[in-house]
Amino acid sequence: MHRRTVIKNLALIIGGAALLPACMQEKGKASIGLKNVDVSADQEKLIGDIAETIIPKTNTPGAKDLQLHLFVLKMVDDCCTKKDQQAFMTGMEQFNKLIKDKYNHSFGECDAKQREQVLVGIEQDKDPKSTAYPAELKTFYGIVKGQTVNGYTTSKYFMTKQVVYELVPGRYNAFYPVKKKQAV
Amino acid sequence: MANLNIDSVKDRTFDAIVIGSGMSGGWAAKEFTGKGLKTLMLERGRDVKHIKDYPTTNMYPWEFEHRGEMPIAVQEANPIVNRCYAFHEDAAHFFVKDKEHPYIQDKPFDWIRGYQVGGKSLLWARQTQRWSDFDFEGPARDGFAVDWPIRYADIAPWYSYVEKFAGISGNKDGIAELPDGEFLPAFPLNSVEDYFSKHVKGKYNNRHVISARCAHLSKPNQIHLDQGRAQCQERILCQRGCPFGGYFSANSSTIPWALKSGNLTLRPHSVVQSIIYDEKKGKATGVRIVDTDTKETIEYFARVIFVNAAALNTNLVLLNSTSHRFPNGLGNDSGVLGKYVAFHNYSAHISAEYDGFKEWTTDGRNPAGGGYIPRFRNVRKQETNFLRGYASGFSAYRWQQRSWDGVGSSLKENLVKDNLSPWHVGSHMMGETIPKEASYVALDAQQKDNWGVPLLKISMDYDDNDAKMKQDYIEQLTEMFTSAGFTNIKAESDHRAPGLDIHEMGGARMGNDPKKSVLNKWNQLHAVNNVFVTDGACMTSTSCQNPSLTYMALTARAVDHAVSEMNKGNI
Repeated sequence: MHRRTVIKNLALIIGGAALLPACMQEKGKASIGLKNVDVSADQEKLIGDIAETIIPKTNTPGAKDLQLHLFVLKMVDDCCTKKDQQAFMTGMEQFNKLIKDKYNHSFGECDAKQREQVLVGIEQDKDPKSTAYPAELKTFYGIVKGQTVNGYTTSKYFMTKQVVYELVPGRYNAFYPVKKKQAV
Repeated sequence: MANLNIDSVKDRTFDAIVIGSGMSGGWAAKEFTGKGLKTLMLERGRDVKHIKDYPTTNMYPWEFEHRGEMPIAVQEANPIVNRCYAFHEDAAHFFVKDKEHPYIQDKPFDWIRGYQVGGKSLLWARQTQRWSDFDFEGPARDGFAVDWPIRYADIAPWYSYVEKFAGISGNKDGIAELPDGEFLPAFPLNSVEDYFSKHVKGKYNNRHVISARCAHLSKPNQIHLDQGRAQCQERILCQRGCPFGGYFSANSSTIPWALKSGNLTLRPHSVVQSIIYDEKKGKATGVRIVDTDTKETIEYFARVIFVNAAALNTNLVLLNSTSHRFPNGLGNDSGVLGKYVAFHNYSAHISAEYDGFKEWTTDGRNPAGGGYIPRFRNVRKQETNFLRGYASGFSAYRWQQRSWDGVGSSLKENLVKDNLSPWHVGSHMMGETIPKEASYVALDAQQKDNWGVPLLKISMDYDDNDAKMKQDYIEQLTEMFTSAGFTNIKAESDHRAPGLDIHEMGGARMGNDPKKSVLNKWNQLHAVNNVFVTDGACMTSTSCQNPSLTYMALTARAVDHAVSEMNKGNI
């Protein structure tokens, strides 16, 4: 066997090994590799349920179809400061406790209406001086909400089927009637 | 063995050496090779081939792992370059990371660099305006720096020459302080920009809002098609490198043109340590490089050397080229090398809204970015309590406001609901700064980089003149905005360090007097006639135009002079 082929095959094997954790994941861990936050499978499910409440499956795809919860985790892991990561993890537990205290079961066990009510309640508590919810819980929800919508509106689905993104406009019309735009 | 050595020297000998492959180096290489000279172009970074090495150019937003945002670890490890407006996931690979190439900030300075073939010409904002005599005469009239050794008439034909090849879009506006050029059709102003332009013209006799002039092929000519470039497609993803060659970069234009001649040898991974000076001949004979792959030191030789390493690095190369004759840096008899560096003051902007033209919007994207307000302060005479003046960007825009409030199906509906914002307008300041002796770059006495080159110390800062000018920009633009009926006007002054403008200039200034300047009117070292500097380092003053077009024109002019001197046997 040629040396190059050997190296190539070896690279394939190593490449395969790198993919292994995704399919043979440690039980109880999140389904994607995370470097900075320690997220369990249960917590991943919770974020999936929250994301799905934010962007539900209707006659168009929802958060889980578009794997937006994994995008949220990716962004928390890579793009949030240490402080926000810590608040995210603490806030997630506070969120669980809030649900448990209120409904005596988990967010996943709430019906659709309860889920929406809880999230809207947190979201509408906008006064920074309010103590209705712990600060970390609001950071947690703010990140999940923001990144779910960010992930949704920049997803391939959204940018090709809902609001079409043009990579190559090929034109600039400086005077364009609004009426014409709305007709599109 | 002796023969081998001779052959080796022969292989390392060229007619011309160009240090740097960016905006001005690309032009030097194109001009030399076009005149039949065997030319070596040295680039310290890696090669970036047009199209092939633009890995993100055709990526959709969703194909970026973090949708464009830089991971926090990268941001925290790179506080300097992270402050640059274009440092995002789509173009980060074209920027120098902070730790890769350290420098010393005697005063805070955000040094933004692109170490690769093409340099920052891949990343520039593509705004191109000519200087006029109101700019060239500035230092002499106002008593700072030294008199420019050239006037508009010296450079005007060379502006035309480079504009035709690079492709500059713009209108012939007939404004003496911003001379017209060889233009491709301009990108038009939109309804509110056009309204503001007419309003300003009516209210002030010396203020203009024109279509920004930019290096985009709005309608390519044959010379552009011959370069393999095509019409700009209004993507506005320029910082990724353009697969159409829609904007001018060394990678899409001058370098491939020079390579096509068969006269260019392009050598990436070559850090220039110094220029070799031969005391007997009284000339530079070549350059000493370190190959960054092999760490080998190699010497190359040529009859003429162009230093186009980007303003501050050009200073570094000259300062580090010491000899018995030039103990303080090549050509530094005057002692001013490294001094009188300056930049552009970009530290203010202003925004507002306009409650009109609701029936109009725009379609597609404007690569020119909107309007440009040429300098109107102190143009013909001194009229304020500060020297010189500022140009301003101006643009008007609307966008789809989509509510992110709430959750569930109503949120999904809101995210696709058309709800066009009112018109917003914005302007940013581009102020001239005064080069001063106290502003300098210098070599650090101890610290060296991985290639044995001393680290550069940088020291420049805003002064009282800058503060007064900024105040005036805010007052004047506020007045112009108010009288145009704009509302909710917000002026913001930020505290950015110099450098983020990416228009650092000077250090090897041009001048008539060898005792007070480094370069003569041909961009030639007063003291070493076969070494030329045609990048930002040559600038005697900064004026407020975006400088690249002037570097291109000075370069083409200097090469023409150098070759004619070589033909006469003077070099």
